[in-house]
Amino acid sequence: MINADVLIIGAGPAGLQAAIHAARKKVSVVLVGKPENSALAGAHIENYLGVPGKADGSEILRIGTGQAEGFGCRMLKENVTSAARKDGGFEIVTETDEAVRAKAVILATGISRVKLGVPGEKELFGRGVSYCAACDGNFYKGKVVAIIGGETEAAASAELMTAYASKVYWVAKDIAASENMVRKASAAGAELVRAAAKAIKGDDRVNSLELDNGTVLELDGVFIELGAKSSADLAMDLDVMPEMDDTIKVDASCFTGIEGVYACGDVTGKPWQMAKAVGQGAVAGTAAAEWVRANVGK
Amino acid sequence: MSVVEVTDASFDGFVGAKYAVVDCWAPWCGPCRRMTPIIEKLAEISAGEISVGKLNVDENPKTSRKYNISSIPTILVFKDGKLEGQMVGLSPTLTAEGIKDKVLEL
Repeated sequence: MINADVLIIGAGPAGLQAAIHAARKKVSVVLVGKPENSALAGAHIENYLGVPGKADGSEILRIGTGQAEGFGCRMLKENVTSAARKDGGFEIVTETDEAVRAKAVILATGISRVKLGVPGEKELFGRGVSYCAACDGNFYKGKVVAIIGGETEAAASAELMTAYASKVYWVAKDIAASENMVRKASAAGAELVRAAAKAIKGDDRVNSLELDNGTVLELDGVFIELGAKSSADLAMDLDVMPEMDDTIKVDASCFTGIEGVYACGDVTGKPWQMAKAVGQGAVAGTAAAEWVRANVGK
Repeated sequence: MSVVEVTDASFDGFVGAKYAVVDCWAPWCGPCRRMTPIIEKLAEISAGEISVGKLNVDENPKTSRKYNISSIPTILVFKDGKLEGQMVGLSPTLTAEGIKDKVLEL
């Protein structure tokens, strides 16, 4: 168990800047997230004040991580798999089963991609295609399903679906989830298929999934679970109700309206720009640290 | 007007109204919780025009099977007892007013 005053979820520019500002306020700060999952990784920045030319996003994240750590922030480069309110504060668990308890939380998760973009996905949504194993698992009792995705949400869903389905394929070309989660899904009985989904097929309902290696899996349901646990799910676990477009509404101090919970960056809505993420990160980090110092005591 | 709790037993009678909307949900479903305020608002703004109910799919499997529900939240829309539309999942543009207009156009 790790204890912190301020816990930040998300290792993009908003989360890192929040970490820097909170840590400089002399509160203990833990940041959980993978910088490589930020929209900034792999991007180039040419509209950020004072940075000439086309700056490499991954390099900005690498330098930012070092700066946050330099000010005393502890980094856990993992995804969060569950979050809850506990004993007047908050507790999250990571993909390696590490628990972090904190007095305040900053959501800086960004906006994740949920659609796969393969033929059949849109047409068969609600008729065998689902984006929420936790919601729809019960409809697939004794049936054959596939989970698509290589990150933690896919691993957790593959494990969960073994409780309902007679057969669970976990379809992933590359695995980014921790060994711990992969082991749990396999031990539960999910069969890992190292391939990418090419098309979801069926007339009235899903009946098969075509893979890029030529294999066709006969099945009843396809669960698309890309990335980490979604920002909307995390927010609801902390009693914050997201907007219908999955963004989180905040006031000028990045406060969500739920005591001790702040949000910053792309997750609060457009513009999806590094400049806005950094600005809000500074505000959220400062506000969360000041709230802890004023209300919880140091 | 509040949202009516509909069950397998009361379903057919409930959707026999001129216009009826049923929100199919389950307690463990996060997106369903986000649908709740929209359905509550729909009941409020369409009182006397549309019967608005919610069906717990976990406790009422007969109706879920009958309408082939395999993703929640799903909204079922009826006119004179006949299924006229089915909306699956959340959408950024979904509003109580939007659902009301769509239903009354039927």
